[in-house]
Amino acid sequence: MNELTRQQLKQRKIIFNIFVIGLFLVLFYGFFTIQVAGRDKYYEIALDNSVRELIQHPVRGTIRDRNEKILVDNRPSFVVSVIPRQLSAEKLEDLAQIINEDPEYIREKIRGRHTFLPVIIKRDLNYQTIVKLEENRLNLPGVLVELESKRFYVDGVLSPHIFGYVGEVTQVEASRNKDFLPGEMIGKSGLELKYDTNLRGVKGVHFVKVDAEGRDLGMINLERNIDPIPGMDLYLTLDYSFQQFAESLMVDKRGAIVALDPRNGNILAFVSKPDYDPRQLAGRIAPEIWYKLQSDTSHPLYNRVTQSKYPPGSTYKLVAAIAALQEGIITTKWKAYCPGYFRLGRKVIHCWNTKGHGELTILPAIKHSCNVFFYKLGLKIGLETWAEYSQKFFFGQPTGIDLPNESAGLVPTVEYFNSRYGPNGWTKGNLANLAIGQGELLTTPLQMAQFAMILASKGVVHNPHIADYLYDAQHDERIYFPSKINYVQGISDEVYDLIREGMLNVVHGGTGWRASVYGIRVAGKTGTAQNPHGEDHAWFIAFAPYENPVIALAVIIENAGGGGAIAAPLAGLCMEKFFYDRILPRRVAMKDTIQVDSLESAIRIKVDAIPSLEISSPDSI
Amino acid sequence: MMIKYDYITFALTLILVITGMIAIFSATGAGATDEQGYFLRQLIWAIVGILVMFGVSFISLRFINRFSYWLYGISMFLLLLVLMVGKAGQGAERWLVLGPINLQPSELAKLATIMAVSKFLADKYADVNKLKYFIISVALILLPFLLITRQPDLGTGLVFLALIIPLLFWAGLNWFHIFTIVTPIFTMIFSFNFWTFMVLMLVIALILAYSRKKPIIMTAVFLLNITVGILTPYMWNQLRPYQQQRIMTFINPEKDPKGAGYQIIQSQVAIGSGGIWGKGYLKGTQTQLRFLPAQHTDFIFSVIGEEFGFIGASGILFIYLILILRLIKISSSIRDQFESMIIIGIATIFMFHIIINIGMTVGMAPVTGLPLPFLSYGGSSLLTNLIMVGVILNISRHKFIH
Repeated sequence: MNELTRQQLKQRKIIFNIFVIGLFLVLFYGFFTIQVAGRDKYYEIALDNSVRELIQHPVRGTIRDRNEKILVDNRPSFVVSVIPRQLSAEKLEDLAQIINEDPEYIREKIRGRHTFLPVIIKRDLNYQTIVKLEENRLNLPGVLVELESKRFYVDGVLSPHIFGYVGEVTQVEASRNKDFLPGEMIGKSGLELKYDTNLRGVKGVHFVKVDAEGRDLGMINLERNIDPIPGMDLYLTLDYSFQQFAESLMVDKRGAIVALDPRNGNILAFVSKPDYDPRQLAGRIAPEIWYKLQSDTSHPLYNRVTQSKYPPGSTYKLVAAIAALQEGIITTKWKAYCPGYFRLGRKVIHCWNTKGHGELTILPAIKHSCNVFFYKLGLKIGLETWAEYSQKFFFGQPTGIDLPNESAGLVPTVEYFNSRYGPNGWTKGNLANLAIGQGELLTTPLQMAQFAMILASKGVVHNPHIADYLYDAQHDERIYFPSKINYVQGISDEVYDLIREGMLNVVHGGTGWRASVYGIRVAGKTGTAQNPHGEDHAWFIAFAPYENPVIALAVIIENAGGGGAIAAPLAGLCMEKFFYDRILPRRVAMKDTIQVDSLESAIRIKVDAIPSLEISSPDSI
Repeated sequence: MMIKYDYITFALTLILVITGMIAIFSATGAGATDEQGYFLRQLIWAIVGILVMFGVSFISLRFINRFSYWLYGISMFLLLLVLMVGKAGQGAERWLVLGPINLQPSELAKLATIMAVSKFLADKYADVNKLKYFIISVALILLPFLLITRQPDLGTGLVFLALIIPLLFWAGLNWFHIFTIVTPIFTMIFSFNFWTFMVLMLVIALILAYSRKKPIIMTAVFLLNITVGILTPYMWNQLRPYQQQRIMTFINPEKDPKGAGYQIIQSQVAIGSGGIWGKGYLKGTQTQLRFLPAQHTDFIFSVIGEEFGFIGASGILFIYLILILRLIKISSSIRDQFESMIIIGIATIFMFHIIINIGMTVGMAPVTGLPLPFLSYGGSSLLTNLIMVGVILNISRHKFIH
């Protein structure tokens, strides 16, 4: 047998030891670099590995009226989700049958998501489906019925054009705002859109410990969790019982009613008809309902108060009257003769009263809404001055109400006509038409109500707004919005007084007599706007009481006929309800009863309690 | 009177086995009922293994010596059997089913090969520097290598290749022969770049010029290297893309972040996040939440790294280092070549497993599926390792008697 020499062994031992120690040093170095030098980096990765963020959605703020009555609230809605890892192919078929969907639809939703994280399959389940899912709970592992909140409208609440609706975020919206997560519910229109940031609240985050397969192992790190902050409650300027009354006047009609408080710009009523039941768009929106609303020829989705543009008709004669008086083009003594028609070149245009009004000055012309008078006046004023005064009253620009997508209307100017028809393509006929509120001129009902407010307050314009304040429950604090005031410049008190007197006459013995309210001095102006869509639009604008106005309003009924006959009575009813909080018995009935005396005492004017604003135009200050 | 026994080697082994049990307990659900089986099974294997180790340490050394060729023959037969009737485990056939026990003959083959080569070269007339003895001893090692790589189990196969140089060197192979074996391997690696290849050839030529060998031998060695250098890129290009891919992944697993790369990354995260002091026993998130792949087998050391930190990991590394150095020391103090070579062979096998497995957990070595001696879950491996320690204890016991 071979024997090894001591020398040989010692030499080999040294070589082996060097090799072994060298290789171990490399290993020690490897552990040092990642455990001592790289510890923080790997610790972060390990945390990310095992902790998953679960987004906590806040509850959306409620919307309430000025009396703190809840109008829009939240209610639980049921959602079915599945955990893709736990749902077998066979159970998927069963689930599809219960929720009445195609199995392929579910497969599509969970494709490529082989995790323990639930995937929402269907929102807003109906009661029968929930019951069926609960009955089969044990047979359907991996199927969850979860709670979500959806908008709930208190009984009797409609007004979809005020509130708007809430819907799932679209890809376009998500790309514009990084804060939006897929599937999140956000405001899409109306107040829900305008005050979305406040109503939505702030999302929270819960950190949940998961294993390598994403299985939830229960909460950890409670101090790191951030709870969601619920949305703020939005309080409106209107009293919803008054709003409901105004809406009831418009049932089965097309048009709008908008009422403002001229002392502060508060919206008191805001009606756009036809509308739709906002409940149809709460939660999951059925495609057939959406299609029906969109294709309806009466456009129920359209907010007529701020988005529809109409020719204002005779209500706009007041602008021509103010321009002529302020510019000194005419005096109150200036007279025009109305034979019932007006000849302009080869064209003959008729006054609404074909018998003719005879010779009249400006006050009777307003009272009887004589067209011929204003044709002649319009020609005297000229387009430039007329357009200047139209813009002074903020026509042709949005009012800045706190609702999205407001329309500007249209005030035609010299430039407008030149670019549209060419410098020689338009005639005095266009101007004559504009003076009586016809032709290219377009206004929104809100602009007309704002005009009534300006006349009521003699030039003070409070920015119309429907939101009064936000209530922040976190800090128990009310957040008011800064109020914006504008003034109509360069119109004297005398002119205002004269126009206001004319408007008073309209209701007291003039074309707008049907808007009169017992015991209240109402001032107004009728309008009957010809339009290419058929019957005339009936207009009425008004404010009351005459001395210290607390309400200004505009009413338009599309294709209904004369403003005095159709719109004025509705305005009268609105004001009656507003001042007395009820509808008074008709005078006709009173004549034969012995209750005539007691009626006087029965009527108590509600608005006495409201402090009224000093009315003064800025020019007199 | 104390029995003369190598208590240090015994104690080091025992510490490692116990550490393994502790780590496996943590890696398999910390006593959660559905996974308790792993820990208990490994416990039984450990107890049986230590008993067998004791037994082996008292067998007559003469018997072991005589039994060497028989054992080699038996294990080669079993390897052939595996190729024909083996049971598939992770895509490769490595197991033989004997009643309730699954055997991995490649484990047994390690010890058998060491014993056979040691016996062959310890013969009075044997001279490893003679071509005949050299070729036969290399062939004894290449046979199991080829059989095992056919299973296919490249990792375990490489263990055998790693035996060649240390065993033959210990047997007295002179440095020029080692040079002749080693240089072609370097040439293969360097041949992919023309300039590195040229520099290497220059170095080889210089060393040859100073070797004072016969010109014909020098020329032959030089030509061998040139040929290997030219053929390697050619052969590489002959490979199919998927074969190249497989080799590249073996060398650099991080290029494949979903497969082997995922394992490396998660293991690095586990070890790195342990920091200096570790996250505490049973508190490693990577381990307890199952982010670590094969954490009770191949990546058991990552569990130690995460839960016991740099202190724990380097502590275990240190114990391994002491064990290997001690084996070298015992080996170099034994005059009997057969016994000495067996110990150095076993030390080489331990060393190769330790460096490759632990290197893999920190991303310094490729993923091969080699278990970590004494720590990784697996009965065959633990039993074989304990038998090998038994052989060492047997030899060292005699050494102290002499």
